[in-house]
Amino acid sequence: MSDPANAPAPVLRAPAHAAGPRRPPAYRRVAAVWFRHVRVYGNFFVANATPAVFEPIFMLLAIGYGLGAYLNKHQFNNQQYAAYMAAGLLGVTCMYTAAFEAAYGTFIRLRFQKTYEGMIATPLTRRDIFLGELLWCGTKGALFSAIVGAVLCLFGHVRLPWGLAIPFVGFLCSAAFGGLSFVVTSFVNSMNHFQYYFTVVLTPMIFFSGLVFPVKDLPDGMKWVPLSLPLFHAIESFRLLVAGPAHASVPWAAWCPLILLGMCIALGALGVKRMMGRL
Amino acid sequence: MSRAASEPPPAAQPTATASADAGAPPVVECDGVVRRFGKLTAVDGVTLHIPRGICYALLGPNGAGKTTLSRMIGAVLPRDGGALRVLGLDPGLEESEVKARLGVVLQENLFDDDLNVLRNLEIYGLFFWKRGPAFRAKVQELLRFVGLEEKEKMGINELSGGMKRRLMIARALLNDPELLILDEPTTGLDPQVRHAIWARLRQLKASGMTILLTTHYMDEAAQLADRVGILHKGNLIAEDRPDALVAKNLPRWVLEFDALEKPVCVEALEKNPDGARYERHGDRAFAFHADEAPLSGWIKQYDLRTALVRPSSLEDVFLKLTGRALDE
Repeated sequence: MSDPANAPAPVLRAPAHAAGPRRPPAYRRVAAVWFRHVRVYGNFFVANATPAVFEPIFMLLAIGYGLGAYLNKHQFNNQQYAAYMAAGLLGVTCMYTAAFEAAYGTFIRLRFQKTYEGMIATPLTRRDIFLGELLWCGTKGALFSAIVGAVLCLFGHVRLPWGLAIPFVGFLCSAAFGGLSFVVTSFVNSMNHFQYYFTVVLTPMIFFSGLVFPVKDLPDGMKWVPLSLPLFHAIESFRLLVAGPAHASVPWAAWCPLILLGMCIALGALGVKRMMGRL
Repeated sequence: MSRAASEPPPAAQPTATASADAGAPPVVECDGVVRRFGKLTAVDGVTLHIPRGICYALLGPNGAGKTTLSRMIGAVLPRDGGALRVLGLDPGLEESEVKARLGVVLQENLFDDDLNVLRNLEIYGLFFWKRGPAFRAKVQELLRFVGLEEKEKMGINELSGGMKRRLMIARALLNDPELLILDEPTTGLDPQVRHAIWARLRQLKASGMTILLTTHYMDEAAQLADRVGILHKGNLIAEDRPDALVAKNLPRWVLEFDALEKPVCVEALEKNPDGARYERHGDRAFAFHADEAPLSGWIKQYDLRTALVRPSSLEDVFLKLTGRALDE
């Protein structure tokens, strides 16, 4: 340090006690958390977006068109296989985006970087911090689903103008999985335990939520399974946008966006509450 | 240490500041505060008051409850019992408002390593919703204050440990805090950096800042504190001005020597001859006495080569009050 004697003393402004509250209102505190994430992770946006964007494209090419060529004497929800997959690819993108952020990302910030320990010493409360995180998860999902949607549009699998609403469903889907991942993270003591979550919870969800095959082809005893999964409702919501109600998997598909919204609120609230107890 | 005893920190100045704010309530009013973690009672009914404008040092061995208490005062950790007011507010009920008025230097240097110095301060300011030209001027002023004005474009990992610590202090001052909480501000730093940081903290104190300092370094407390509280196993076992704490608990002078060097001497002094008070901590033996003469006499009498006669210090008080328990 340079000679302390020469350093100017900072101007300490006399704190004005009568000036009312000094804390920012709650919505600004949540926004500040969101903005911190945008600032810090925005630098790595391209790197982070790469798997979320390229994986669905490779799946569309290899499975949608490649394997699909063998399947196209059949119809999938009255569609060719590649077109059928489009909605599912959007859903999986959002699911993994949120799961990685709110499982690994949150755990690293909690345990290793101790990001929250620094934040909790400021006017931010525990609720502000995790609401901001959830908002960030949703934002990433909205962005990545928009990019994947644009690519699918080039392949002609998105109907317009409905496709312009993709980011909204992307936000809900990612926020719902952000909440679910918070719940998991709040119980986990080692990052290795996330393997259970990804392998036993998320991977089967991909296979039984109408990405690979229509859920109406499930055996009768298992038809209830996809209905309980947030990914099914997310994919059906995307399907309403990109393909339209004529290609829905269930007759009541119009309710799926509302059910997704409900799941998003319930999982978000539960996840935030769990993480508040964890910090 | 000897400096603390021979020239006690000026107590006159804070009293002057306090009388200027005579009507203002204490910055921290802590009455019987309790915090438990499972079966462990980390803070067990602590009562302490910190008036405006002073530096209060919480001393205690590791695990005494210093950090737990300062986290409760900092509105980060809820309490399990007792009454607590910080700046006249209940941190349990007005968490965000209390924290908006505090500056906190955590034990660890926590930054966003991917951002440079300036961006780190900007993000932190945003948590207080501080932005704009006035805030940017504040940032520059504080960077100058801690001597980092040319480092604003540097990455966090390019900074030395001392620079990171100074940046933590600058960051804690961004919101014009009314109380600065420092959790072990100079642990692990070299002596030059420690003195430089102490100089900055003394400047802050001189400008009227109230400071709560937790430390296990007696020299740090002696350098900065107007009042010292010793925490032990979650209880505040002593509290006073540093010089008064020494005067109240121990005779003025102490003879310190290697207990293994002369067993004969240890045997003789264990009987507390001539009103002396013998203590032992590890390999070091201590004989306290109101006068210097008998202590110097024993050096000659027993031909102690490693002995030293010095004024009793805060560290001796600390060892006396908390040391025995460590031996248990």
